[in-house]
Amino acid sequence: MFRSVEKNPILTLICIALAFLIYGYATSLPKITDFMIFCIFVIAFDLLYGHMGQLSFGHMLYFGSGAYGCGMFAYHIYPDPFLSILAGVLLGATVAALLGTLVVKTSHAAFALSNLALNEVGAYLVLSPWHKWTGGEDGLSLFFKKYGFINFGESTFRFYFCLVSLLLVVYLMLLLVRSPYGSLLKAIKENEVRVRFLGYNTFLYKYITFIISGAIAAFAGALMSINLSYTNTSLIAPTRNVEVIFAALMGGAGSVIGAVVGGTAFMTISNYLAVYVVRWEMFLGFALLIFVFWFREGIWGYLSKSGGALEKERSNP
Amino acid sequence: MLLTVENLDVCYGHAQVLHDVSLRLNEGELVCVVGRNGAGKTTLLKTIGGFMSPARGTVEFRGERIDGMPLEQVARMGIKYVYQDKRVFSELTVRENLELAAYASGQSLDEAVAKVIAIHPKMGTLLNSKAKGLSGGERQILLIGRALVGDPQLLLVDEPTEGLAAIIIGEIIDILLKMKKRITMVVVEQNLSTVARLADRVYVMKEGVFSREIEDKKTIENPSSYEDQL
Repeated sequence: MFRSVEKNPILTLICIALAFLIYGYATSLPKITDFMIFCIFVIAFDLLYGHMGQLSFGHMLYFGSGAYGCGMFAYHIYPDPFLSILAGVLLGATVAALLGTLVVKTSHAAFALSNLALNEVGAYLVLSPWHKWTGGEDGLSLFFKKYGFINFGESTFRFYFCLVSLLLVVYLMLLLVRSPYGSLLKAIKENEVRVRFLGYNTFLYKYITFIISGAIAAFAGALMSINLSYTNTSLIAPTRNVEVIFAALMGGAGSVIGAVVGGTAFMTISNYLAVYVVRWEMFLGFALLIFVFWFREGIWGYLSKSGGALEKERSNP
Repeated sequence: MLLTVENLDVCYGHAQVLHDVSLRLNEGELVCVVGRNGAGKTTLLKTIGGFMSPARGTVEFRGERIDGMPLEQVARMGIKYVYQDKRVFSELTVRENLELAAYASGQSLDEAVAKVIAIHPKMGTLLNSKAKGLSGGERQILLIGRALVGDPQLLLVDEPTEGLAAIIIGEIIDILLKMKKRITMVVVEQNLSTVARLADRVYVMKEGVFSREIEDKKTIENPSSYEDQL
């Protein structure tokens, strides 16, 4: 079953759509909307980490840029939801393009920590010097214009809009990672020097990938801003970077489906376990240890393996 | 002259590995560099390939200095490297490995595949296999095949037969012989019987210096005459 899902992008999309529809109607549409947005963020993060081998500790900066780009456009300029999302994505991509010229030159610990440092700077700027535009600690309360049935005030509409957005991101990402460009990213992850000796300017490809990842993270941030109808500093908080790293590891890094599985699993645990257990983070810690020591391939990797399809997944992520 | 290496000094930190090494290479030649482990053969190859920068001296390719040039620029000039460790991009399939080389050189994937199949027909059946599943010999053939994509001007081959079974060594030598004359090559090798079959000219390297240059074909074909100088 897992083998069929992996091989066929359309089947992948159908399975994801069905899973979220069932999960949404069985539980709560607004909550599952959050889950789907988080999955988009995990996909963005995993493009850098799982596919290109660069662990960022500061991807919340791009998520936050998207959220603030969207929020500030709607609040200060014009409350059109689509233009606001576009503003968020453009801001995230621009921030990634500017900062990428610095951070993409680094790798490993320097890459991870420079991203974290920049995230700290971004969070500080939003909180204090730019509070006139960002609303500082209070954030910005948002409303968006309605166009007929397009009403982002309706939770059902937001759910379907985010579902379509997730499916679109998954589809585009599957196309990307299965293309020669995806092979190039995998090769860079394995041995960048040798890719350069094939004649590739690896900085350029890493830089472009960084911008794509930043733009997708910003898209997720913009959707979150619309879904919550506000933008505040929690959407750019550096402390939340661990969530996306955890989700990517949990689902199985280097796999688009794994990112969706990991994002959903993480959000399920953090939303539902918190109802029953006060210090639920402790269980996440134990879960992370289990994944690090026994299930390095993550949930999706393990399922694929048990279905005899691990190799297929790795060759066609 | 295709390649000219002049008075090369190369260091790892404070340790100098190559001392005043000079080498010249004519178009279509196959030159072997022989020497014991640690003599500096691979360091020389890496310096020519742009992986290392010399402390002193120059490397010129078709009259243009390439020492200190970015790796990708050296590769785009048509210099290809076949690595000693036989590490291919293991997470990619054979086809994807070739595809990467093809895109970089502007050649079509079909042409790239045809080139590899021409030197080793069995590779045609392995195109969709993960490279990490290949045997040592198959990896070496894939590396050579990948280096051939895009019509290289100079092939730097580092210990092509090291660690391979005798039957595979024969195949690798046959492949290199097929490529000889069409592509200029510098081959680093410890196996002198292989050198005897391949080389037009031999440089003997000892402790980071060339101790001898052998041009006479009869001497090259009689390795015992220079074995004691390694």
